[in-house]
Amino acid sequence: MKYINILGIIEGTRTIDDVQEKLNIDRSKAIYILYKLRKLGYIRTKYLPNKKRIYSISLLNKQNRVSYLESFNNNMPNASLKINDTENYFVYGRKLKAEDELIYALKKSKIRYVISSLFLFRKIKDWSYLYRLAKKENLTRQISALYDVARIFIRKVRKMPKRFRRYATPKKNEKYVSIVSGFNSDDFKDIEKKWKVYIPLNSADLWEYRILK
Amino acid sequence: MINITNQEVIFNEIGRALPKKLIIYSIGGTAMMLLGLKGETLDIDLVFDKKLDREIFIETLKLMKFRKDDKRVIETYGLKKNTPSMLRLESGDFIFDLFMNKIITSTFSDAMKERAKQTHEFGNLIIRVADPNDIIIMKSATSRVKDLEDIISIINKSQINWKILLEEAKEQVNLGNETAIMNLGEKLEKLNNQKVILVPKDFSDKLWKLFKKQVKKKAK
Repeated sequence: MKYINILGIIEGTRTIDDVQEKLNIDRSKAIYILYKLRKLGYIRTKYLPNKKRIYSISLLNKQNRVSYLESFNNNMPNASLKINDTENYFVYGRKLKAEDELIYALKKSKIRYVISSLFLFRKIKDWSYLYRLAKKENLTRQISALYDVARIFIRKVRKMPKRFRRYATPKKNEKYVSIVSGFNSDDFKDIEKKWKVYIPLNSADLWEYRILK
Repeated sequence: MINITNQEVIFNEIGRALPKKLIIYSIGGTAMMLLGLKGETLDIDLVFDKKLDREIFIETLKLMKFRKDDKRVIETYGLKKNTPSMLRLESGDFIFDLFMNKIITSTFSDAMKERAKQTHEFGNLIIRVADPNDIIIMKSATSRVKDLEDIISIINKSQINWKILLEEAKEQVNLGNETAIMNLGEKLEKLNNQKVILVPKDFSDKLWKLFKKQVKKKAK
């Protein structure tokens, strides 16, 4: 309990000097407190380029969880594709795969998520797992259509198995579905027609990301 | 006392034991722990919006050797309405308070459900965490010292949207909790006078106006 009270005072991102100042103690005592808090699982350490240590001190560090948003952002090749969202989803007791993140992103039905999710196709390894997840959420056609768009703009996208494409192909009587309601494409009409999916993007939206190829 | 690690372990076990996915809302100390605002809590407070879901949850807990503890419900809440179905692990380590939409005098409104944006998945157990603003509303309905400490902690550690607090207090009155505005005003004023929190004057004025309006309406 004693250390939880101390944690309340020094919570946040701190250096050793900050901890000394906040608690009004000498350096050796500050090091001991940080050592104890780390043992309890409340501290994560990062290093600055000048090798100075930065301590992230929070009760949240104790939780053994994975955030969808954090995992999603870790898979993005640059900062412009990373997403900041107030809604977050945490998972305990299992690791998240790129396949899970792709489904999560598409379920959000937001343009920013859709653009960034195109880059996840680079990381997809387990297509049968992706198919199972997509089938459950009724997203197989949407994924196939976005995959075709990703192949045009993004390099190093792994090849989708023929079986996935075959199973995802829409039947004659199936209606068009949207990825983001109210949006469709002027440039990807052929892909839209093939998968009967309205793609919420135009070439111009993806042009700036061609450099990432 | 239940700490973060114990809470995680028990939720993971329940998530594994549940026969289907259940979406539940967490309030009080449990929500604060999931938001990183608190390190320990006395009991695990959960709100259900479907009776069947709560029954499935209770049955699962019973399989895990939890038992109903009606005596403690009366000890804690007296003979008030909408008391939770309370379950306690035989060893006495964990106490679950399982509410159905209403939490004693407060109601877990649709707006509160909408604001519960943070989700935590423990296998089949999916917990949505109540918004810090809503936790304040619910905490202000009680008169326990630990709840006042929690209000201080929330206001000092998270970004409070005073507009939401105002709107929700109004909504609680509409939903039948007539003392919601008065309780919130009283608690915040007390803490503001003690200088442990800083309540914007604009907010206090608006809340006071709302209270006067409610009294006038009642007098008619």
